[in-house]
Amino acid sequence: MRQGIRARCAVAALVGLLLALGGCVQSSFTTTDKLQRRAADLRIVLMPIDVTLAEVTTGGNLEANAEWTASGRQHLTSALGEFLDQRNVRTVAYREPVSDPDRARFHTQIVKLHSAVGRSILRHQYQQSPAVLPTKKDRFDWSLGPQVGALGTEYSADYALFVHVEDSYASEGRVAAQVVVAILFGVVMPGGVQVGFASLVDLKTGEIVWFNRLLRREGDLRQPDPARETVRALMDKFPT
Amino acid sequence: MKPASPGVAVLALLALAACQQPATSPTLAIAAAEATRPASAGPPIAMPSLAPDGGAIAHLKPAERPPISSDEAGLWLLSDKYEDQLRTSGSMVRDPALNDYVKGVVCRLAGAYCGDIRVYLVRRPGMNASMVPNGTMAVWTGLLLRARNEAQLATILAHEIGHYLRRHGVQAMRDARDKSAAALFFSVGFGVVGVPAAGDLVALGLVGSMYAFSRDNEREADDIGIRIMARAGYDPREAAKVWANLIAEVKNDEESKDRAIFFATHPEREERLETLAALAESLLPAVAEPRLGRAEHEAAIGPHRLGFLIDELQHRRYARLEPLLGMLAADGFRTGEVRYAEGEMYRLRGKEGDDAKALAAYEAAEVSGGAPAELYRSAGLVRLRQGDRAKAVSAFARYLELLPDATDREMIRMMMAQPTS
Repeated sequence: MRQGIRARCAVAALVGLLLALGGCVQSSFTTTDKLQRRAADLRIVLMPIDVTLAEVTTGGNLEANAEWTASGRQHLTSALGEFLDQRNVRTVAYREPVSDPDRARFHTQIVKLHSAVGRSILRHQYQQSPAVLPTKKDRFDWSLGPQVGALGTEYSADYALFVHVEDSYASEGRVAAQVVVAILFGVVMPGGVQVGFASLVDLKTGEIVWFNRLLRREGDLRQPDPARETVRALMDKFPT
Repeated sequence: MKPASPGVAVLALLALAACQQPATSPTLAIAAAEATRPASAGPPIAMPSLAPDGGAIAHLKPAERPPISSDEAGLWLLSDKYEDQLRTSGSMVRDPALNDYVKGVVCRLAGAYCGDIRVYLVRRPGMNASMVPNGTMAVWTGLLLRARNEAQLATILAHEIGHYLRRHGVQAMRDARDKSAAALFFSVGFGVVGVPAAGDLVALGLVGSMYAFSRDNEREADDIGIRIMARAGYDPREAAKVWANLIAEVKNDEESKDRAIFFATHPEREERLETLAALAESLLPAVAEPRLGRAEHEAAIGPHRLGFLIDELQHRRYARLEPLLGMLAADGFRTGEVRYAEGEMYRLRGKEGDDAKALAAYEAAEVSGGAPAELYRSAGLVRLRQGDRAKAVSAFARYLELLPDATDREMIRMMMAQPTS
């Protein structure tokens, strides 16, 4: 547990640093300007969105909120659909193959792999991260491996879009505490933060052709309109 | 029990605090267990009356899910995610018979809650099990190895069921919330808030962290657990033995000083042992035929024991393995395999005098029968280390005779051919 807290502090310190630098750093990476398509339409599978909405308690603890998360997922999904529609993308919703456990297991492993690769990108690609890799300094080359091609065949799709978002909001007690601390000490105590990442994976090669991360103190996925704004920020420089 | 490592589940660290049962609340609906209680037994076993400070967390009802607007539902959301990770983990033991066995014991204990508790067997050395708020129970194979009969296994499983029923997860979250708020007001009051504490910042993946059970939670889970096991007809005296055996392991382990994570959150071990022993005596008269379930346990665990032992060997915590192997040898089940594992422990540890102990154990294993053919390969390696080429070569030859298609056959032949290793 103590180890967990240390790790938490380290990551939190990193996020603090990144937030401070936030205005002036690159946030998205693209390996292509033009997406390749098999047919006339560009087809993208929207993988299950991993989203969690949480409340920051008075003392600064994070507590997941199931109700907010359910509406956040809904708003995010429809806003993503709209965003892609506007770019003439045929969005194919992922459906778990319940009658085929082997295939379902394979899909789950792809999702888990993407989660691991995405976190590695956050950690090792961004120049302001203390753990940036020298080999990634001037290039962006990350891949889930060619096995994901099976997903492309199944859905007759060209790409898969993966989205992970965590959004948090200060509770009333937290807001009050922020005000008190700001008045007494002149410092801003953190409230909610919106963090996340999205990647577009080429289903022919497994390569991640576009990646972006979110890291900011604004946004609200509990409401449809702010959720659209979050999607625009998240999908920054998305190629079509 | 507590997760001993962040690896198994950050979520498993969700913690928990004491739950209190209102004086008027009904006793647990351990219906199935109740139904099987023989008429000849003594008075029914009462569930504990809980903390006197009047807290208001009732037991979960069978099949109950917290309402989506509650704070508890947030914990369940994280628990569901953790369960998804666990279910698809490569460390899951998928053997149907073994899964059915452990689930059967859980259902016998949990009665009406059988459907609410999902058991996942994790292939992992060390003695541990964990419970998260939504009823996801992780049981390490190292625990199956160390429970010497079904009643001992039931001790731990019932303890975990106690965490679930008492909703220790949500209690711990609320405690942590109160404590962090109090800490903030304290710092403001004393003018120590100068810079934002790093820990206040939220970062990716942190929504998934949970809190540790308190010692009060553990005591309560012990208390409710032993009652649940007694109700289900198990001999409650076995509960204290589980801890006694673990203490024997830990005491033999000089390296464990900074590794005794288990005890960091669990009640002082002697205190725990005494409390459980006293409770067992008071519960015993109500159990008509106290059951150990040794044969059933052996039938289920026996075929897997050698594999579990090999996992433990790879953990290289030999000082903890030594007393365990002694106990297993005394049990007399599959002695050939147990003695083989003992030989492996000495061979791998390789301290002064260990080679001779290893060879003695291999010989004993050979006499008992049932040891794997790898015994001869290991004996050959020890002989080589001792410089006894003739005996090494004949041991290797025996290995290849028994396993002509062994994947390492070429390497073994090379060692047989070369003058020295």
